[in-house]
Amino acid sequence: MGMLIEPHEIYFGSFLERFNMRFGPAIPAGQSVWHAGGIAEIAALQKEFEIFRQGRSFLQSAALLGLTGEHGGPAKDRWLEYLTRLPGMRSDSDAMNGDQRIVQAIIENLKRDTPLPCFMRAYDGRTREPGLVVVAEDQPLFQLEGVPFLTISLPMRPAAPPRPRAARPRAPAKSPAPASSPAPARPRAPSRRKQS
Amino acid sequence: MTARAGGGDPGSALLHARIAEYYTQKVQAFGCTPLGADWTCIATQEIRFVQLLKLCDFTAAFSIDDLGCGYGAMAHFLHRRHGACAIDYLGIDLSAAMIWRARQHCRGLAGVRFVKGSRSPRVADYAVASGIFNVRQDEPRDRWDAFIRITLQQLAASSRLGFAVNFVAPPANGQRIAPGLYTTPPEPWVAYCADQIGADAQVVEGYGMQEFSLLVRRRPVS
Repeated sequence: MGMLIEPHEIYFGSFLERFNMRFGPAIPAGQSVWHAGGIAEIAALQKEFEIFRQGRSFLQSAALLGLTGEHGGPAKDRWLEYLTRLPGMRSDSDAMNGDQRIVQAIIENLKRDTPLPCFMRAYDGRTREPGLVVVAEDQPLFQLEGVPFLTISLPMRPAAPPRPRAARPRAPAKSPAPASSPAPARPRAPSRRKQS
Repeated sequence: MTARAGGGDPGSALLHARIAEYYTQKVQAFGCTPLGADWTCIATQEIRFVQLLKLCDFTAAFSIDDLGCGYGAMAHFLHRRHGACAIDYLGIDLSAAMIWRARQHCRGLAGVRFVKGSRSPRVADYAVASGIFNVRQDEPRDRWDAFIRITLQQLAASSRLGFAVNFVAPPANGQRIAPGLYTTPPEPWVAYCADQIGADAQVVEGYGMQEFSLLVRRRPVS
């Protein structure tokens, strides 16, 4: 028993889900002709307040939209840390870092007469070194076949396994400790260095 | 936002107490943040203010009551966005905890006062109420309709030029709504304002949310 490790700390999907819910497809509002919620709501907010703008980080805009989560905790801390590192990441556009790429893509999308819903996901950054932030128009959800999204793919990689503890001669272990334990899949900015 | 209104009967007092308790719990859990007033974020909270404040003429000084003011978010919004206009702002809320927070949150803002209560103690140029009709909890719909009617009458009586409120629109076909959420089309309340208050209600909609605002202007006395 103890409180050193919370099982939920390794999960950050709720933060992605929060973004995807707010930026999802709009729905018809009542019996009226206008659409509401999802990307229609975000587009209206952008038109009124210019939430996303050049020079303002994605994290700052996300906070204005309440996307950073209301409760604190290690998972949130790690997620926010990840977002603060977006400017240090590269993107699929040579001219923009990861943060600029996301912000600019959202700005351009929201300028459209009918903005696309947006979908954010994580991918294994090791598959596309050095871990690029990728933005593309595609159809990421099989259950919404034929519905285009602006998809934002964030590179992540497994955390390094914890180092084995040095043996303490005067305190013999009651049971053998594993040489290493599985590393939690924490959201983590990719290294610029190529892995061998 | 936080709630209010009603008449003087025991049923109204009980209703007010339940509303106050609901929002007191929110602000105690989340503090002076949009979640503390049951809104999702700053941006959605403020775009509602934008719609309601279309009622006002910002080219001249005026007074305004904010019924269900919560922790005073609108007072900050007015100072930030319309700081050049001299505005006499009075926030009213049923929740003592909200009023206490509002006074702390808005300390130093000129022309801003708060009072605990279910209705304004004065007559101002305008009155606004954001989100006060949305969460009826498990109150029967007919009683909630009565609560709205009373509140609209009080808003009309306490505003010289007009008042503005907002409602959640009915869900689209097949869409689910949260239990306890009050939804309504605009037509019944536009008609109520015309027939029972003698005022013209303008419907504002299409601002990205499943809701609409009513801008209710007093008819000139002939």
